[in-house]
Amino acid sequence: MLAHTLFFYIFSFIAISSAIMVTASKNTVHSVLFLILDFITISCLFIMIGAEFLGMIMLIVYVGAVAVLFLFVVMMLNVAQQKKEWFSSNDSSKHIPVGVLISIIIFFELTVVIGGWRYKPDIVSSMSLPLNTDITNTHSIGKILYTDYIHLFQLSGMILLVAMIGAIVLTFRERSGLKRQSYFAQISRERSDSVELIDVPSKKGVDIDD
Amino acid sequence: MDKLNFIYPEIFISLSIMFLLILGVFKKNSSNLINNLSILTLIGTLVLIFNHPFNTNLNIFNGSYKIDFISSYMKILTILSGIFVLITSSKFLKIFKIFQIEYSILILCSILGMFVMISSNDLIVFYIGLELQSLSLYVLASFNRDNIKSSEAGLKYFVLSALSSGLLLYGCSLIYGFTGTTNFNEISNIINNNQYGLTFGIVFILAGLAFKISAVPFHMWAPDVYEGSPTSVTLFFAVAPKIAALTVFIRFLYVPFINVIEQWQLIIVFLSIASMVFGAIAAIGQKNLKRLIAYSSIGHMGYALAGLCTGTIEGVQSSILYISIYLVMNFGFFSCLFMLKRNNKYHEDIDDLSGLSKNHPLIALSLLIILFSLAGIPPLAGFFAKFYIFKAVLEQSMYYLAIIGLLSTVIAAFYYLRVVKIMYFDSEKEKFDTDYTLGLKFTLSLSTILILFYFIYPSKLVEIVSKINII
Repeated sequence: MLAHTLFFYIFSFIAISSAIMVTASKNTVHSVLFLILDFITISCLFIMIGAEFLGMIMLIVYVGAVAVLFLFVVMMLNVAQQKKEWFSSNDSSKHIPVGVLISIIIFFELTVVIGGWRYKPDIVSSMSLPLNTDITNTHSIGKILYTDYIHLFQLSGMILLVAMIGAIVLTFRERSGLKRQSYFAQISRERSDSVELIDVPSKKGVDIDD
Repeated sequence: MDKLNFIYPEIFISLSIMFLLILGVFKKNSSNLINNLSILTLIGTLVLIFNHPFNTNLNIFNGSYKIDFISSYMKILTILSGIFVLITSSKFLKIFKIFQIEYSILILCSILGMFVMISSNDLIVFYIGLELQSLSLYVLASFNRDNIKSSEAGLKYFVLSALSSGLLLYGCSLIYGFTGTTNFNEISNIINNNQYGLTFGIVFILAGLAFKISAVPFHMWAPDVYEGSPTSVTLFFAVAPKIAALTVFIRFLYVPFINVIEQWQLIIVFLSIASMVFGAIAAIGQKNLKRLIAYSSIGHMGYALAGLCTGTIEGVQSSILYISIYLVMNFGFFSCLFMLKRNNKYHEDIDDLSGLSKNHPLIALSLLIILFSLAGIPPLAGFFAKFYIFKAVLEQSMYYLAIIGLLSTVIAAFYYLRVVKIMYFDSEKEKFDTDYTLGLKFTLSLSTILILFYFIYPSKLVEIVSKINII
């Protein structure tokens, strides 16, 4: 139990400090790297409380796809060199008071919400819910996802297909005059197709077209 | 899984989408083939819907998916609109050089989404269907991607639609939080009258849905998106999503929340009145025919909502009749728009119609009939559509709604008749091209005949729709 608590604090510390570093670091690429560290730490926290499916999905989706996409975007847009100091440029300084105000309000709201939830008298403890501990999360999600919700699962697949078709329709342009390698044409070439023996008449020469 | 045969239409359409996609990718220049195969797919789906008896009423997938009369009827309407969009648009797309395989595949995808919406009996299923439908529509709106207006239309629709989806999801989460279930039938068992959180949930979901059918005050996207999208996509926008969203409206209001009608009735009345009045007044100053039809569709949605807010089954039936007739009128109108082509350039301003009656008397006559019908002049079909709505509204003694509806009909008649005046009494312009495709001619003549001769035998449609029983 002590080890569990210890690990919890270690992971929480890493998560919070890397979240701060995402906003504080001056190099955008470093920000994204800290974001990845944050995602990984949070997925560790998920695994610690027994939600291993959620943790793994977090790793696959956020770290594997979203954060790497961010990294690509940041590197391609070439915004990495922000040499200016933190919040010191003239444009953004006007937004700081408003930003601080909104942050304070959000913090206040969160305090109220969490406080109200914590001290609500008739709250049901998650420990008292009838959970079957014999089967894993992944197993139980799979059991309803592929039976009761199979139609939704299949339809989500159709939605992804439409998204793929749409992305291709809207962005793909066939470039004209592009020379592509055709293996089939290369392999099926015969000597007779390309080599021709011509008797060259004296003092006349031959025409070479192509 | 013994009831799987009831979702054969959905399964068939999904498999066809994947097959056509693979075929289109591997076979070069196959846009025409894919377009024709998509039409065949839709016809096959139609057959599969007719395949199971219409009076079935069953829930599958733990009650989250419902097959009943209304779902079959609305699915047939959706498929018909899909077929007509595909047969009228191929020439248009070829001229704009955007005739790609993905066009018909995306239309099929969005029809699949509409099917799911129409049959949904659960908040999650409904939302997934909505997203599938909307995602395809975003791409379709900006399909002519080199045109700045089309890109603008797609982006605008995407951003505003994402916002409305957010509202809708917030409403869903509130309803789930207060009832503990997402299933419509179970919600109706649980609710009681004094749960204010639930009312908030209803309001948020209604706001999201009103956005999808472009009812005032959630209409601001409609004129720009209608104008910017390619005309064939505008036609699809004007009919298909409205059918699906109206069905969800009906199911959502009449299955879980019919007992708390006093909580939502006034909201629908407001949406309806605002849409009718705004649709009539804002259309007056328009110069572009597509913007005009956008405002006209806002107004028409107001009438459809007026039928819904009565809270009776007659009201629902009148709304469904209204949307069916509205569909036919829109096909006619857009077929005329597709015919206004001169030297491979499409014209879509009202001024381009001037003197149409001298050069093209038949088109002018059809457009005259369609516009009169849209304005609700007897004995055309549009009159009957409005008649059913007002009858249902008056039976509930909601006189103010009927009076405002009638007044806005009169205002709306002005801008329809102005188009007729320009067609018949203004100086003529150059002739338009006359190389219409067969599908276009067929659509225009069919819709005109349906509108013109509806009064001879109106009882058939009424009889079919009167079998709808939602509660």
